[in-house]
Amino acid sequence: MVRIENIRKRFNGRDVLDGANMSVRKGEAVALIGPSGSGKTTLIRAVNGFVVPDSGKVIIRGKGINYRNKESLRHTRKKIGMIYQLFNLVERTSALENVMAGALGRLDNGVNLISSTIGLFNREERDKAMELLKFVGIGDKAFERVDRLSGGQKQRVAIARALMQDPELLLADEPIANLDPKTSRKILELLLRINMEKGITMICVLHHLDAVRDNFSRVVALKNGSICFDGETYTLTHDRIHDIYEFEEDTECLVA
Amino acid sequence: MFGGVSAAYVKRAKGFFLWSLFIIIMILSFRVSSLDIKTLVEGFSYSVSLIKEMFPPDFSSWKKILLLSTETIAIGFWGTILGMTISFPLGFFSAKNTSGNVILYNISKGLVNCLRAIPDILFAIVFVTSLGMGSLAGVLALAFSTVGLLSKFYAEAIESMDRKPVEAIEATGSHGLGVIRHAVLPQVLPLFMGYNLYLLDHNIRAAMVLGLVGAGGLGLELFTQMRSFNYQKAAAILIIIFAIITVIDRVSARLRKDIINGAFLSRENRYKDGLLLLVISVIAMLSLYFIPVNFKEMAYGIPRIWEFLKGMFPPDFSGITVYVNLMLETVGMGISSTFLAVLISIPIGVLSARNVIHAPVIYNIMKEISNFFRAMPELMFALIFVAAVGLGPFAGVLAIAIHTAGFLGKFYAEAIENIDPKPVEAVEATGAKFIQRIRHSVFPQVLSLFNSYNLYILDRNIRASTVMGIVGAGGIGFELVMSMKLFEYQKTATLILIILLTVVLVDWLSSYLRQKVV
Ligand SMILES: Nc1ncnc2c1ncn2[C@@H]1O[C@H](COP(=O)(O)OP(=O)(O)OP(=O)(O)O)[C@@H](O)[C@H]1O
Ligand SMILES: [Mg+2]
Repeated sequence: MVRIENIRKRFNGRDVLDGANMSVRKGEAVALIGPSGSGKTTLIRAVNGFVVPDSGKVIIRGKGINYRNKESLRHTRKKIGMIYQLFNLVERTSALENVMAGALGRLDNGVNLISSTIGLFNREERDKAMELLKFVGIGDKAFERVDRLSGGQKQRVAIARALMQDPELLLADEPIANLDPKTSRKILELLLRINMEKGITMICVLHHLDAVRDNFSRVVALKNGSICFDGETYTLTHDRIHDIYEFEEDTECLVA
Repeated sequence: MFGGVSAAYVKRAKGFFLWSLFIIIMILSFRVSSLDIKTLVEGFSYSVSLIKEMFPPDFSSWKKILLLSTETIAIGFWGTILGMTISFPLGFFSAKNTSGNVILYNISKGLVNCLRAIPDILFAIVFVTSLGMGSLAGVLALAFSTVGLLSKFYAEAIESMDRKPVEAIEATGSHGLGVIRHAVLPQVLPLFMGYNLYLLDHNIRAAMVLGLVGAGGLGLELFTQMRSFNYQKAAAILIIIFAIITVIDRVSARLRKDIINGAFLSRENRYKDGLLLLVISVIAMLSLYFIPVNFKEMAYGIPRIWEFLKGMFPPDFSGITVYVNLMLETVGMGISSTFLAVLISIPIGVLSARNVIHAPVIYNIMKEISNFFRAMPELMFALIFVAAVGLGPFAGVLAIAIHTAGFLGKFYAEAIENIDPKPVEAVEATGAKFIQRIRHSVFPQVLSLFNSYNLYILDRNIRASTVMGIVGAGGIGFELVMSMKLFEYQKTATLILIILLTVVLVDWLSSYLRQKVV
């Protein structure tokens, strides 16, 4: 499904990604871990084209991402849903409108382009958005303004927006880092249910090792811009975790 | 150690030098704007006797006044609508993050800055000369000056929006228009609405004086009555203008507050939005009646604008020494009027601060006074002062000083209301008197803020001084208007060049100084 081949990226003279390789099969759910600044966000932003690698390739369903061509990049993004730590919703509009915005990628020609630009969505898309809001468990909040929702509810709206794209791949960058433990557990359960029931491939950046152990069978760890562990979760021993998160002589790695 | 002493010495010498410079500039400014204690006292007594002559106001021609008022509002309204329509795309083009093209961005931004530097009344003169007298010239003049202000406001709103939702919508693979419509607009629209209302308010006020140069509305009638010494009739017009301005000011402030509080532009308030839209459209349609758009006239007018522009080349520099002297007088007027405005505003500001004056009667009255000063256009004050103290820069200085005292009074009061209450309490606890408290606990906290406001007002007042000549209140404006009336466009070009140069210079200097002060 996704293959990342030898990606390098420098920011301000520092190798943030230093030849990272990984591949994810269709329907798989992978947890991506690693200390702060190890390049996790940079890596998954390279998958949906917000970071342009200096060298290396990202191949999705057998096709390499063309970072230079805006239109082709847009088509790639249509099938990739992204979940953010801070939800990234349009606060002043309703939950429903936020979810419907997920359909904009496919409403890109003729009448659909015009009507979606005016702000009108057809019945079908509307019903689908309602359906998704019910699926993520906040069907009753459809008309509520997003800035009046709680953190967990906001993340549900963001997940529904991603599902609105009919994605084949779901990227999540620390989706539970801003939520309390109970809500975190529920949101993670929801994401894994989506992976199981809808068969959507998922890469999820996480900082909670307990959550990783409880929910994911495969873990990939980044350290200094390259993959330093990739395997079944039960093989992630205490020593290896120590290796991943250990302090180094010259860098500022932390986290426990 | 020795170095420390000499550093302190240098600092003091520098302070002394700056103060001397300040005083010399002040004295020179007072000289060129013929301002001194004696003229001030006399001016005050003349103004009082003029006001006496205005009573009782003569409302006998109320029908005409009413009709003209409606026309004035219509001019302000359509000027705003037209300006808004142009500013909408221009705002996006001149915002760094939505422009999408460096060349487009720089061109749009340059255009907007140029439009903003030119006073609306100058646009009005140009359109009156090319399209003839009437409300259409007023509408176009306001539209142009609106674009200068509004596009900048729009662009700033767009540049300061939250990037996160925008990226999220881009990440869904949305088309570009979709991103603008569903991630950018929801964020900026309430701000845009607030700015639009603010400009509507501003433009209706501006429309009140455009008549002075023949661009329709009440201004011309007021001008005529003042010129023929019908002060009682003029008083009636002034009262009506004041009433309209007050009502509009209140309504617009109220609506702006509602918008900020989210009472519009959301799903549950759809009916409210609809109602507002309906009211606006009805007013717009009705007011169209007052703006006779004569396409034949326009067809003639456009070549005349072209001729006007062509006639400006090459600029005629023969009168340059006279012009430079006039420009110096204008700058002097700006400085003197700012000085006077500061003097008037300090008591107003202190007395209208809720946290120092504990009597609501006093601070409310003071707030109303500064509202009044702020709301009345300065050219209108100028017209009155010309009648009271005679032609010349002194009338202009008084007019600008009074008008901007309204701004400064409000700014000062807000600054004082936002101070840290702890030091004030501490000084109060020592048993200090009111004046001592103000001097030792309030002023130290607000002084640098005050100075930055003063610099802003100075900048603005020098620009305002350039047009005072239109009503004979001194400065370079008189020469400018005359050159246009006499079709000496080459002289007009030179004058405009001098004005623009000064405005840019002053703008640059004042923002430099503001950075130093803060
Ligand atoms: N656009 C950018 N410009 C400059 N430096 C950047 C940029 N994006 C990321 N970096 C740098 O790259 C490094 C890795 O960042 P990245 O966000 O990928 O780390 P991360 O593993 O996601 O960390 P965290 O766990 O804190 O989110 C950081 O040092 C960051 O400062
Ligand atoms: Mg990160």
